[in-house]
Amino acid sequence: MRRCDACAVDIEGAWVRCPLCGTAVAGEATPSPLPSIPLTFSRRRVVRVLFFTSLAVILASFAAQLLFSHELTGLGMIRSVWLGLSAMWLVVLMAVRKRRNLAKSTVYLVVIVGLICVYWDYLSGWPGWSVTYAIPILCASSIVALLITVRLMRIETSEHVVYSVLTVLLGLAPIGFLAFGWVTNALPSIICGGLSLIVLALLQLVGGRTVRHELGKRLHV
Amino acid sequence: MTRGDGTRRNWVRLDNASNIFLAARSDSDPKVFRISAEMDHDVDPVLLQQALDATYDRYPLYHAVLRRGVFWYYLQDSDLRPRVTGDRQHTCAPIYQADRRNLLFRVMHHRQRIILEIFHALSDGTGALWFLTDLVTAYVSLRHPEQPSTQGESGAGSDAHADRGQLDARTPAGEGAEPTHGLVADSFAHYFRRRRRHEAPASEPDFSTGPGPAAPGSGVVGGRARFARGIPRRIGRFFHLPERKVYRVRGTRTPDNRTRAVELTMPAHDVLNLARAAEVPLTMFLTALFFESIRASAGDLGKARTLSASAPVNLRQFFPSTSPRNFFATVRVDHTYGEGADDVGSIGRQLDAQFSPKVSPEALEKTLRQFIRLEGLFVLRVIPRPLKDVILRLVNWGNNRGLSIAVSNLGRVSLPDSVDEHVGRMSFHVSAARPQICVMSHAGVLTISFTSPCVETDHIKEFARLLTDRGVAVTVAAARVTEEELAEAAL
Ligand SMILES: [Zn+2]
Repeated sequence: MRRCDACAVDIEGAWVRCPLCGTAVAGEATPSPLPSIPLTFSRRRVVRVLFFTSLAVILASFAAQLLFSHELTGLGMIRSVWLGLSAMWLVVLMAVRKRRNLAKSTVYLVVIVGLICVYWDYLSGWPGWSVTYAIPILCASSIVALLITVRLMRIETSEHVVYSVLTVLLGLAPIGFLAFGWVTNALPSIICGGLSLIVLALLQLVGGRTVRHELGKRLHV
Repeated sequence: MTRGDGTRRNWVRLDNASNIFLAARSDSDPKVFRISAEMDHDVDPVLLQQALDATYDRYPLYHAVLRRGVFWYYLQDSDLRPRVTGDRQHTCAPIYQADRRNLLFRVMHHRQRIILEIFHALSDGTGALWFLTDLVTAYVSLRHPEQPSTQGESGAGSDAHADRGQLDARTPAGEGAEPTHGLVADSFAHYFRRRRRHEAPASEPDFSTGPGPAAPGSGVVGGRARFARGIPRRIGRFFHLPERKVYRVRGTRTPDNRTRAVELTMPAHDVLNLARAAEVPLTMFLTALFFESIRASAGDLGKARTLSASAPVNLRQFFPSTSPRNFFATVRVDHTYGEGADDVGSIGRQLDAQFSPKVSPEALEKTLRQFIRLEGLFVLRVIPRPLKDVILRLVNWGNNRGLSIAVSNLGRVSLPDSVDEHVGRMSFHVSAARPQICVMSHAGVLTISFTSPCVETDHIKEFARLLTDRGVAVTVAAARVTEEELAEAAL
């Protein structure tokens, strides 16, 4: 029989490493009383396949939307519904994928939803609602939401700080929209930009060193 | 099938204890358990099939399939015949599938092992052990026809329950039970539904007690389940949240929802001596060891410093019954770390101080009567079954929140003399919603099977090391569950 010296146990079956502690084991292999049954499926693999298929379908459907001409009346409704559904599914996929890191998923969410809005806006003839309203509101509310959740869930600063800073930086983008004159109403962009600046200053105050440390750690080459 | 052939099928309603298994089953915990006996040779499938055919005829209960009624589940007689197969599925693979009319048990063999797997709504550990004992006995007498038949020799106390296992299939449970339709009535109804007082028949234990010292209620845990018969109490706790936060083990689920099973085999007397030295009955000693290994593998318990365990108690020892159907109660014990002595011996003694009073016949009867009264309430009876399932699932969910582990001890098994010499270690697995151990001993060998829905084995490592540090020789047998482990086996 094989033996794990670390656990001081004998092991039935042809284990290369101890099934309890993972230490390499030595000795003559004996047959196991429990057969090795192949996996019927692997949950991890199923999820991965599902993820990539969904992603491909969504991106393909987004691309297909380009082919529809703007003039086709009656198609607008179906297009909106379809775009909405795919966008929702995409956001869900990303959220599930990044569910363990709250700050990180917020960044993903803001970027994805923002891009979808711009694309949607473009498809419908660029009335400019995405840069005027959707993105500033999205950025500002995600900053507020992040502040609240970080506080309530007592997430360690080092855990979230890098992605929080990223979220706040995204919040500065509407100031750019304003500068380029892309917006039809300045108020949302001003509020969002102002909020970002305030939070950025706050973060610099309370977490400046942590941010620099974390950035140093993560950007270390 | 039922109506087509013109015969009226016999049926019996499923009691609530069994109903909860239906409501609480999930992909990773299909509420199946396995008992296996290791022979002194590789099992002959042809003889095993013959033995199964003979045994099956004597157990009408095992002919049953599960049907869904509007208000209850029913066990209904069937014409199906069981087939012996190799052990081709992982341990405790799902048996019952809604709308599929199949038998609620399976018999398999792998190398030297004869394996019985049962859906828990059909029977409990003790009932299943009767069936397996009869099956192995039949198998041995087919393989060794020259030996005197087991039925011939009697008198040995060890044969008593094996005989009863056969007997109970032929006769209804208890004398005054309702007409049985060929299916055995449930003992809960028999004992607790009517106002019938029973003196504690401590003199006549129905099932061999565990290998623990003779302290009352020590090793007597039989049957297995994680769900309380004391549900009203549980509901109470469900609404007034537990005073202390109970630690719950988390981990990575196995890739295909299979149960992770690891068996630790060791000389029974070594562990018994350890338990005796600590002055703790075996079951509670092992529970204390389990707590300690969970604590050690967790690293830091954080705010949840309370560990709690559920242990099923075989009711047949207090309320004699020969019914192979579910007849157990579950007792909960806990320990909070950092509030006094935290060594294994002290924890064990403290657990036993909680356990023993709860398994007195009086205490059990009181809880069970309450429960049966609840079950009998008209309002609850007329709730449609799907809704009952939802309610029971919620109750079960509330239960689970208050439990860290489960410990189930079938005790020392004795087989008929002529069979005994051909059988080595016996083991017991259950599908598990949380880390669990199942304990069973035979031929001087104690088998502790760890089952869990997660791949992590850290707590098992700690448990094994606690034993080997104390000089117990432990052998490990593990089933492969992860892609890496299976790839390694394929080499
Ligand atoms: Zn090891």
